[in-house]
Amino acid sequence: MAQVKEVPGSSTRDETALDQPWNVVVHNDPVNLMVYVTMVFRKVFGFSREKAESHMLEVHHKGRSIVWSGARERAELYVQQLHSHLLLATIERVDS
Amino acid sequence: MEFYRISGNRLGLREIPPLLAGLMRQIPVPVGEDVKAVEDRLFPKPSRDPEEGGLCEDWKAHVEPELHSFFLSARQVVEADLRGIKEEEGGFALDFPAGHAESWLNALNQARIALAAHHSLDEAELARSAPMVILNERDLARFQIHFYAALQQWLVEIVDFA
Repeated sequence: MAQVKEVPGSSTRDETALDQPWNVVVHNDPVNLMVYVTMVFRKVFGFSREKAESHMLEVHHKGRSIVWSGARERAELYVQQLHSHLLLATIERVDS
Repeated sequence: MEFYRISGNRLGLREIPPLLAGLMRQIPVPVGEDVKAVEDRLFPKPSRDPEEGGLCEDWKAHVEPELHSFFLSARQVVEADLRGIKEEEGGFALDFPAGHAESWLNALNQARIALAAHHSLDEAELARSAPMVILNERDLARFQIHFYAALQQWLVEIVDFA
C-alpha cells in the first residue's frame, strides 16, 4: 500500500510562522464512527485508549478538539496523516 | 451473516445474503468522483484561515496526489480481495488476510463519506436506523452507509491496531 510521507514545502512561510506553536484541530463530521476516530487517534498520536476516547468525545460534543500542539511542520504532517484516515483536520495558530 | 477470524491470520464473512454481497462489491467503486462536494470532503483543506492560502495551494499540489494514490491503493486491495467472494450453501462467503484490514477500513470510510456527500445526507438522516424498505437511491445510500459501518465496527473491534 502506498505510504503518505511528504509534507508540503514551507518556502512561502517565514521563520516566525514556523517558530510559533500550532494546533492540530479535529472537527466533527457525521460520518466517521466513534470507534474509528478513537482508533485513528491511538494510531497516529499513540494516545492511550482513555485519552483517545476523551478527544473523540470532545469532537463529538463540542464540534472540535485540539489533539496536538507544536512545530508547524510536524502539525502539517499530523494533519496529512489524519486526512489519510479521512478525518476532518486542520492546523491553526495557537493564539487564534 | 457471520464474521469470523481464522487462526489469527485471516478474517472472514460467511452466509452473506446476495444483496449484501452485491453491496460489498460496490465498496471499491468510487462514488461521485466528479462531484465537488465529494471531492471537498475526501480532500479537505488543511486550514480554515484565509491567510493560509499558500498552504492550501501547496497542499493541493503536493499532498492531494499522495492521498489520491493512498486511497486508490486501499480500494485496489479490497477489489482484489473481493474477487475471492464465492457462493456457498446459505449465501456468499469471503475471507482475506488480516493484514488487509486497514485497507478495508479506509476503503469503507471512503465509500461512506462519498455516499453521504454525494447524496447530501445530513447528521439527522445519518443518525436514523438503516431503512427497512429501499424506495430510491437515497434510501439505498443510507442502507449502504449503515452496512459499511457495521463492517467497519467489526474490523475495528477485531483488529488490534494499537
